Amino acid sequence: MSRLARRLAHGALVVWAVVSIAFVINNLLPGDPARLVAGVQARPADVARIRQQLELDRPPIVQYAQFWRRLVHVGPRVIDPNRDPTHASCLVVLPLGPFAGHVDFGKSYQMRQPVAAVVADRLPRTFALTSAGVLLQVLFGLCTGVAAALRRGSRLDRALVSVSLLGVSAPTFLIALSLQYVLAYKLRWLPLDGFGQTLGEHVRCLVLPAITLGVYGAAYYTRLVRDEMIGLMRQDWVRTARAKGASPWRVVIHHALRNELTLLVTAVGLDFGALMGGAVVTETVFRWPGLGDLSVKATMHRDGPVLLACVVVTSVFIVASSLVVDLVGRRLDPRTRES
Amino acid sequence: MRSIRTKPEAFAWAAALLAGGAIGCREQLATPIPAGHEPGASPRRGGTLHLAWLQDIRNLDPAGPSDGYALQAMHLLFAGLVDFDDQGRPVPELADHWDIADGGRTYRFTLRTGVRMHDGDELTADDVKRSAERALHPTTPDPNASYFKNIEGYDAFAAGRADHLTGIGVEGRYVLSFRLAEPDATFLPVLAMPTLRPVCKTAGDRYLDTWLPCGAGPFKLRPGDWQRGTRLRLVRHDEYFRPGRPYLDAVEWTCNMQVTAQRFRFEDGQLDILRDMTQADQLRFAADPRWKDLGSMETDRTVLGESMNTRMPPFDNIEVRRAVAAAIDRNHYKAIKPGYITVLTQLVPPGVPGFDPEVEGQRHDYRAALDHMRKAGYPYDPESGRGGWPETIVYPVYDQGLLVYTAQVLKQDLAKIGLRIELKLVSWPAFLALQQRPGGVAISQANWEMDYPDPSSLFDPLFTTESIGSESSFNTAFYTNARFDDLVARARREGNPDHRRALYREANDILCDEAPWAFAYAYHFYDVRQPYVRGFKPHAVWPMDVSAVWLDRAGGASNSPAGSGR
Repeated sequence: MSRLARRLAHGALVVWAVVSIAFVINNLLPGDPARLVAGVQARPADVARIRQQLELDRPPIVQYAQFWRRLVHVGPRVIDPNRDPTHASCLVVLPLGPFAGHVDFGKSYQMRQPVAAVVADRLPRTFALTSAGVLLQVLFGLCTGVAAALRRGSRLDRALVSVSLLGVSAPTFLIALSLQYVLAYKLRWLPLDGFGQTLGEHVRCLVLPAITLGVYGAAYYTRLVRDEMIGLMRQDWVRTARAKGASPWRVVIHHALRNELTLLVTAVGLDFGALMGGAVVTETVFRWPGLGDLSVKATMHRDGPVLLACVVVTSVFIVASSLVVDLVGRRLDPRTRES
Repeated sequence: MRSIRTKPEAFAWAAALLAGGAIGCREQLATPIPAGHEPGASPRRGGTLHLAWLQDIRNLDPAGPSDGYALQAMHLLFAGLVDFDDQGRPVPELADHWDIADGGRTYRFTLRTGVRMHDGDELTADDVKRSAERALHPTTPDPNASYFKNIEGYDAFAAGRADHLTGIGVEGRYVLSFRLAEPDATFLPVLAMPTLRPVCKTAGDRYLDTWLPCGAGPFKLRPGDWQRGTRLRLVRHDEYFRPGRPYLDAVEWTCNMQVTAQRFRFEDGQLDILRDMTQADQLRFAADPRWKDLGSMETDRTVLGESMNTRMPPFDNIEVRRAVAAAIDRNHYKAIKPGYITVLTQLVPPGVPGFDPEVEGQRHDYRAALDHMRKAGYPYDPESGRGGWPETIVYPVYDQGLLVYTAQVLKQDLAKIGLRIELKLVSWPAFLALQQRPGGVAISQANWEMDYPDPSSLFDPLFTTESIGSESSFNTAFYTNARFDDLVARARREGNPDHRRALYREANDILCDEAPWAFAYAYHFYDVRQPYVRGFKPHAVWPMDVSAVWLDRAGGASNSPAGSGR
């Protein structure tokens, strides 16, 4: 338990450090966020007024302190943004009697919307895309990697290695456009892009971007699993299992693949965390309104509150993924427990 | 067994080739979807016009920060006292008529009677005043507020020292006046911009981000019809003051749609007008005999030029600036994106009020350019490549498709007269910071989109001494000329169109000669529409003006959407 507490504290420190660095970099970058809000042709007096309204005229250290002070706090359970401007940009996350826990990233400079609400809107979409993409990556990668390893040196192996090389080398946008053209435009099996209005439409719209991520990542996993499996299949315990008369499938699944799971879980965990930061190209091509699209636009437009919110969410997910990987890895591999 | 092993490999390569070939070889355009009736048929009501935007929109409140895409929708949502006709001239809209009195200081508007807002209320002069005060209030994030600083009492109101804008007077239920501090010939075009367009009483007296946009335009927004980042749908305002208009039941935009997806959907009939497209696609549509008559160029609204910092060497030398203006072959710029570029030899582009076809302006003349370099004291010998300005000049470039190409054209053209340019790739915000600061950069490409179709929209911000700032200077050449300033100030006040034209002509001559900018090109968009989109006409000011569009699709039904299993 103390180890878990240490890991959580370490994770919180990482999130704080990452967000602080992002804040500093955002403030050091050239360009005036107020100018980008007002437009490049807005007159200086109008830009100055907007800068004041956005509180960008305050010293950076004051803005930094304000960001942390309001990030997580307690406030009223029900918010009326017109009557209570203090909590207008808050998201109620944890009702506690007449009060509630609030998360507040401030208001977006560009969209003029509470950032917490925007992120809460987009987070499940990115989570869905990431989950589907990672699932496909692992399924394809595992199957093809194992198949290639078991038939090492065969034409199947060479074909799978070649295709995986193609998948790793091909830019994501090319995979996305090819899928879009063939499966959506020509064959009309799936929507070209978008998010849809109903659950059924959401699922249909998710397929192509998930396959895009799947194809790209599966190629990587194919090579990873293949190379690892080839090594594992030469191990003594595999030879012993074969000598004892275990069936080929049992040897593969029970003895070899099980030993590969630690590596696989580590890779999946890190990939999942990274993809939660947003599969930028995939989201853009398929018009999937997730965090990737949001964070890129926030960076381009110097939309500080949105950018910091994306950094917080991404770093929290990466830290959480890392923690889960650690815990699962310890479960799967007794050697790590002993160490 | 052997054949089974061969199959996956063959399939993989075949699939890869198919996908690559499908994308790379896709050159044929689909056949246009025919209209239901012959040209000249009477307009019919009904249908939803489907459009797309490459990006999301930020705001639909005329008093808030907005963008070019949102402007297309705001023009349909909000009607103004004054609008522009398709040639860009101010015409009455919600105003029945106006009178100008007091030597051009007072504009008195008489409103149309019986104009219904989207909430059903009748428009009155009080609504116009309330909307103006809401837009110009110091708590409103209006990026265009100071365009109206000439209204009497603006300074006190904008500083929060007055509760009301004294320069706007309500003189009756349907009559109100604007009193200006000094005569201003640009007041009507400025008023035609969206900023002061009347908003419903639901907007209240002060700006709120949560307000549902509501005005008196031909279309209205219903709750839930704007899903940020996804779609915007406007439906017909049945009580619109122009009888029988608009023809469409609704206009619907899909946001954040990439150019490839836009073309796929357009060819399929799921989008009715296409505006965002690649240069290759634009050339295909313009060249295809089935499509070329369905395309149209918009007005050149954006002017671009090589801005030379008149306070930094070598461009503090007027002869060097003249040499640059003569050295640039503007046709090389046009060759980069011919469907979108108009060669510019003077400040005001063709098709915009203030353009003077008789002015020769800055022309490409290589011998003259070499001569100007000699006069500047930096003679250059093209044969040996010796001479010219001895130092390398940094030219900042941000990652925008066209600029990175025009920068290379400029580099080659200037190398021929002994000016050696080094391209430096920077981010867009860094580019602005460099360009708009005195001493930031010696030469850079500047651009300006006209806020309203009047020469003052270009002359005033780009070249007057008043526009020089210490941090964000619009006058990126930091150019000062007392005679020029005087001409432009007089032109702004001048009510007589002929006198005004003469003043701008002289100012234009000064710019062409002293060359704070080497004028390069003007940029426009290209639209292509399906044959069943009727009544569409490019507007001089409003991009994608669909207020008069009607749909005439054969059979009336739209194509089945993608994914329908068709």
